[in-house]
Amino acid sequence: MRDETSIIGKSLPLIDGYEKVTGRLKYAGDIPPLQRMHYAKVLRSPYAHAKVVHIDTSAAEALPGVSAVITHKDEITGKKKTCNSPWHDFSFNFRGPMISQEVCYVGDEVAVVSAIDEDVAKEAIKLIEVEYEELPAIFDMEESIKPGAPQVHPWGPNALDPSVFEWGDIEEGFKEADHIIENRITMGNQQHAPLDRNSCMAHWEGDKVSIWTSTQALFWIRDAVTEFFELSPNKVRVHSTPTGGSFGLWWGNNFMFLAVALARKAKRPVRLILTRDEVMTTVKRREKPLIDAKIGIKKDGTMVSQSYRHLMDNGAYGNKFDPYQSVADIYTTKHGRAEFIGVATNLLPAGCMRGVGDLTLAYAMEQTIDMAAEKIGMDPVEFRLKNHWQTGDICHTSQEVLFAKLLFNKTPEVELTSSGLAECISKGAEKIGWKDKWKGWGKPSSVDGHKIRGVGMGISTHISGLAFFGFNGITLKVNPDGTMVLTTGIGRMGQGGDTTQAMVAAEVMGVELEDINVVDGDTEVVGHTMVTFGSNGMHMVSRATKAAAEHAKEQLLEFAAKELEANPEDLDIKNRRIYVKGTEDVGIELKELMSKPIYEYLAAPEVIGSASKGVEFHKAGKMMMADFAEIEIDTRTAQMKVIKFVAYHDSGTVVNPAVCENQVAGGYYQSMGLCTTENLVFDDETGAILNPNFMDYKVVGPMDMPDPEIYFGEVYDEDGPFGAKGIGEGVTCAVPIAISSAVYNALGVRIDPPMTPEKILDALKSKGR
Amino acid sequence: MINLKINGKEHNLDVEADVPLVWVLRDYLGLNAVKFGCGIAVCGACTVHVDNKPVRSCVVPVGSLKDKQITTLEGVESDIAAKIKKAWLDLQVPQCGYCQPGQIMSVINLLETNPNPDDADIDDAMSGNLCRCGTYLKIREAIHVAAESIK
Repeated sequence: MRDETSIIGKSLPLIDGYEKVTGRLKYAGDIPPLQRMHYAKVLRSPYAHAKVVHIDTSAAEALPGVSAVITHKDEITGKKKTCNSPWHDFSFNFRGPMISQEVCYVGDEVAVVSAIDEDVAKEAIKLIEVEYEELPAIFDMEESIKPGAPQVHPWGPNALDPSVFEWGDIEEGFKEADHIIENRITMGNQQHAPLDRNSCMAHWEGDKVSIWTSTQALFWIRDAVTEFFELSPNKVRVHSTPTGGSFGLWWGNNFMFLAVALARKAKRPVRLILTRDEVMTTVKRREKPLIDAKIGIKKDGTMVSQSYRHLMDNGAYGNKFDPYQSVADIYTTKHGRAEFIGVATNLLPAGCMRGVGDLTLAYAMEQTIDMAAEKIGMDPVEFRLKNHWQTGDICHTSQEVLFAKLLFNKTPEVELTSSGLAECISKGAEKIGWKDKWKGWGKPSSVDGHKIRGVGMGISTHISGLAFFGFNGITLKVNPDGTMVLTTGIGRMGQGGDTTQAMVAAEVMGVELEDINVVDGDTEVVGHTMVTFGSNGMHMVSRATKAAAEHAKEQLLEFAAKELEANPEDLDIKNRRIYVKGTEDVGIELKELMSKPIYEYLAAPEVIGSASKGVEFHKAGKMMMADFAEIEIDTRTAQMKVIKFVAYHDSGTVVNPAVCENQVAGGYYQSMGLCTTENLVFDDETGAILNPNFMDYKVVGPMDMPDPEIYFGEVYDEDGPFGAKGIGEGVTCAVPIAISSAVYNALGVRIDPPMTPEKILDALKSKGR
Repeated sequence: MINLKINGKEHNLDVEADVPLVWVLRDYLGLNAVKFGCGIAVCGACTVHVDNKPVRSCVVPVGSLKDKQITTLEGVESDIAAKIKKAWLDLQVPQCGYCQPGQIMSVINLLETNPNPDDADIDDAMSGNLCRCGTYLKIREAIHVAAESIK
């Protein structure tokens, strides 16, 4: 049921907007240095795979101004000796020791130094003598999983055990099919490329360590440090600041451990800020996919079976092997199989980036779906309307199903709570002018001299959080003047999560958004909050925010009931005033209630609402999206440009339209980068990244693409607070599908991202153009 | 010692002449609205004004700034700047916010020199300011709104 709301649904300004437009918002690198603080620099491996057979740090240690040097000899190992474990590890690139004697990619840590300033630390790094013994390196996923392939790292096998999902009878399913379509896709290597740089400052006082870092994973970093350094959570305090863009880059990473270990050894605060080059070559990238897809359809376009084998390049220390976000479920089929295999290579570790899983697998599915539709001469819009996922369908490949199996050996069913795909597909098609522009498979919508235009479309989905991210503990405290303090561990990476959580609290409390002050980013102050990724903020964290506000409201109404000589059930709050329902002129201002002494106590009331809520996983609210693109290819230059882009998305109730539009636009620009110019280039011989800067790794600039047209479906998710689902990640997922499909229709050739002029030129040549 | 005029005040700083301006502003003076992004004048996060013109402070050595007026977002007090910030807030331009001080410094110069920019003028002025969150759509809108409010 749709709620009557006065705050939810309005484009209210960001609560930290003023700090952002004045440059006063402090990212980790802006936090003033602590007294006696030193600066760290890392010595990194020039080899993709090697053993450090000799290392001499004596000259570095003797350099005036150097406070500590750490190498593999310090044997900082933590409890865990393998990276062959499920992804719910707190730390993303967990390997055995913090610094290993065996380095496994170009850029891997060999030594780390702290010194009085960065220049001295750099000088000290140069004084470290290292002798390496080179080991065989593997850069290719398929090579890596061949029997007898050299081992990528000493911390587990090259391929993690596959996770497999099966429903119905896949063999039978393909027998039932009139047509079977098989396809293989891959993509380039996208990097998160935020403008800010990863930074961590650590300081030990006795046996207690405090960390300041930009992150959306406050509690996972606390838990990672707790586990790695074998400390009590009482001895680890993490302060998180907003991130200067994240997109998945800013959670548990080894460089944070380096700062913590150095600060302990140097006995003083230490700050490590990565260079631009290090941000791009030593933290992580999006997993590169290699996917074999197979789809069975009936002559009338009914899908009967689907199977996928998804290899993902984890690089040296990435540890994903799971199905991400139920992506194989965009289409409902009786029979299906999905297999996911994480593969190690001696390359930069890979992991989550915005839209992870859905972006790659949906791309493979959707290209194959297009081929299937072409086979029977069916319009892609029609095909999708016939087969798409619907409310009440089962999430066969849910990560939660996988975790239930791993942790409890159970295989539960997870049900989809809402799907706006029908609306998004049909209305999006109208907005792009599909009926006029679609001319058939592999046929341009128009040709004007050397300019060929094509249209394409695609659909995808994404989770709105995952239950196993944990409980959310939220408090809402009411001040004597009726203003309120919300404590939450929600991350702040530009998605406006602090604003939208405050909107939820303000809505329940009947006050204005400006009345809510959000306190975040301190593990000793706020309750455990899910790491802010997987788009869980609005759909999952808000449940606790709403419950905490309801708890506070209950207390307020009880105090007001005494004052007004009424029953609490007969009262409500609106416009900062508590009133008797039905006789609204009887009431009391919130400010008056909160500042007025109560006779029995001779003191004014104190109100603190709190809630700690987990999320039951048997129901899943997932965001849905249908994207449509019209592109133009210039046959003289082989350049592709976007003419029109329509994003029609279902995120349930749109809590703050301006915030949500920003998310959709951002996802579009980032995925357009993946489609065109963004690709980390690895040297074939050495495995080194050749373009770790914004000149050679080109993110989309303001003049590169037209702005997208953004629409939201009218969907109310019964399971989500105020009907809302997530938004931040899925916005990237359908973009490459729509673009690639439009390029196919313009040229008659399928090209995988990045769709560079070279590939387009080859396609043009192959068609004799 | 190098003498620099920053945000209307003179500073005598013990710094080498080849140090890029961005580090002097951030590390010596704590002017953190100036952000380091790429270090090669590609992203625009470090944009400041030198004699009222936008420059990328990551590639300007402080030794080249004798007698020049350097202005960071902290030091901008014009009515135009206030209107731009208001438009930025009203239209909810920022996402993560990291590039926004640089974006706003470019816009201030644009509207000071061209109160009536069309889309092509905006593209010209803003092409060197990257935003990884993709706020371009809102930036264009907000520049038009700010220009309108200044009239």
